[in-house]
Amino acid sequence: MSSIILEARDIRYHYPRGMEAICGISFHLRKKEKIALVGPNGAGKSTLLMMFNGMIRPDSGIVLFDNEPIQYDTASLRMVRKRVGFVLQNPDRQIIAPTVYQDVAFGPTNLGYTEKEVKRVVTLALRHVGLDGFERRPPHHLSGGEKKRVAIAGVLAMDPDVLVLDEPTSGLDPSGSEDIMELLDELNHEGKTIIISTHDVELAYPWADRAILMLGGKILQEDIPEVAFGNPEYVRRAHLSLPTLLELHMELQKRGFLLQGKKPRTVLDMMHCFETTLKKTCCHARPGAITICNVDRDNRELLLLWCSTHPSLSTGAMGTRAKQRAENEQISLDFTYGVIDKCILKALLGEDSLILTTESMVNRVYQRVDTYGRESGICIPIKQLEDGTQPVTENIGSVK
Amino acid sequence: MFEELLEDIAQKNGLREINTYLKLTAGLGAILLCLLSTSYKPPLFIALVLTGAILFLARVDAKTYAELFIVPLWFAVMSVAGIILISGGQEVFWSWDLLPSFSLSITRESINQGIFVFCRVIGGMSSMCFIALTTPMTDIFIVFRQCRVPEVVIDLMMIIYRTIFILMDQVTQIYHAQVMRLGYSTWHESMNSFASLCGAAFIASWDAGEDLIRAMDARCYDGKFALLGETRPVERMSCLAVMLFLSLSTAVVIVSGNSTII
Repeated sequence: MSSIILEARDIRYHYPRGMEAICGISFHLRKKEKIALVGPNGAGKSTLLMMFNGMIRPDSGIVLFDNEPIQYDTASLRMVRKRVGFVLQNPDRQIIAPTVYQDVAFGPTNLGYTEKEVKRVVTLALRHVGLDGFERRPPHHLSGGEKKRVAIAGVLAMDPDVLVLDEPTSGLDPSGSEDIMELLDELNHEGKTIIISTHDVELAYPWADRAILMLGGKILQEDIPEVAFGNPEYVRRAHLSLPTLLELHMELQKRGFLLQGKKPRTVLDMMHCFETTLKKTCCHARPGAITICNVDRDNRELLLLWCSTHPSLSTGAMGTRAKQRAENEQISLDFTYGVIDKCILKALLGEDSLILTTESMVNRVYQRVDTYGRESGICIPIKQLEDGTQPVTENIGSVK
Repeated sequence: MFEELLEDIAQKNGLREINTYLKLTAGLGAILLCLLSTSYKPPLFIALVLTGAILFLARVDAKTYAELFIVPLWFAVMSVAGIILISGGQEVFWSWDLLPSFSLSITRESINQGIFVFCRVIGGMSSMCFIALTTPMTDIFIVFRQCRVPEVVIDLMMIIYRTIFILMDQVTQIYHAQVMRLGYSTWHESMNSFASLCGAAFIASWDAGEDLIRAMDARCYDGKFALLGETRPVERMSCLAVMLFLSLSTAVVIVSGNSTII
């Protein structure tokens, strides 16, 4: 288990006019964790988040960053704010400069980077969120999702260890929300600790490592999402709704279906539950293969060749750059969110699929398919586009 | 209300990628030549060329451009009418003794003077429009910094620039909300609604100010504002075009001398 990076010890906070917003909260955040803070409006989520970078000072109790209590003098606050990046709910409030470049460069400039360095980190941050070429655009010409990305880039440019996002998906359309969640996943994979507040249970449920239910300035429950969202009583009290999959799982159990294994977090988990319970594989005799195309390598011809020889097969893209690449090459994408799971589902139906992804995420595909293989005993072959048609894993189609 | 701002057009115009200094030289040079010329011809020539550039090179919608011109043009027509009627001259075409000591008259000189002023207005207007429609504020900030305008002033301008659009957005929303509930149906109602719109805008701007400070603090504000320091490179073709335009206009100024319309 990795070490604790942020910790709150019995913090309390009153609003200036008396109402108590936070009444004694203690919890911690480990490095590289993804945490979702859920609860109704006015539960104190935003207030709590604001304490992590010292924007609000608790009345009592302490907030520790890297096992050191946060000091509230200017110099220490600067240090904390560099390492704990905060993305406000309303990007219009966060974006202060007249152009995208200037806004993303705001943090690094104030941290005293040289002009050359500023340019480098800004370019990097914008590429990260998939907004290269937007440098000179004024923020009021961007869409909601793009503004959100600018806000995230502005914080990323300061290279924080922890990213705190207040309602990152509010006001976005479903696909925009999924894109943001995937971006957060990608960032987490690169080593950032992420904590978000949200109302969107369906998005938070498969995404988070841990979920914290808040109500009336207190923590109602704090656990892995299956447990945290699995208690209908708490979920109701927190004005939330049960994730559909969990609800389905519970209803099936009530009707006497003995679903084994852990509670499902994704459709794939649910399928697995069914299969083990019904003792019957709905799987095709020979699972389809998943081909990975690493967009960070120069394989344009191979990719186009693949697409022209397999015109009807499903394609998914994981990560911002992969999606951009698909757009540039005019490849229509079937999946943009939860791509690996969807491709595994396809493979179980005996269909092949292609995943466009970035260097850092290639391993993720292997890990996920491997984990699934171990759980279910179905080996799904993975190929990498660079290796031509030769599969990397040779253990094709051994259905238990 | 506020559907499209000049700035929005400037951000998308066809000459956006041309070096800012070149565009400013063309625009300011044209204004200067309009002021220097003593004949009505050079301003007309400048107006013609720049209007052509705005419509065909910057690809600004002709209707938008015409609408931009209407208000100042109306002003110009009114003042020119005044000039023609009031200023005197030797060769009188028409006159009317309104009062014993005051008469209205149209003379050769007054017509010449009126037309001259009118052409100057058109020339100056098109030069101003050329700058406004082809050079967004964001590019002008860079020029300001390079011209050593104090940082505080530029920073303030940038914050104001950014805030204008946010406030504008809010004001539009409030306005729409008022219109939807018949807030402007009668004169009395309009006064009331307008007053509450102003109040709401004030509160919104106050809020925006506080949020701004918070947003800046959260990103370690230390008195510095980044600036996109690069202007576009000066391209040979556009540079030649500006030089050609300015020298042609100068030539027209010299050749036309004091020539008048009648």
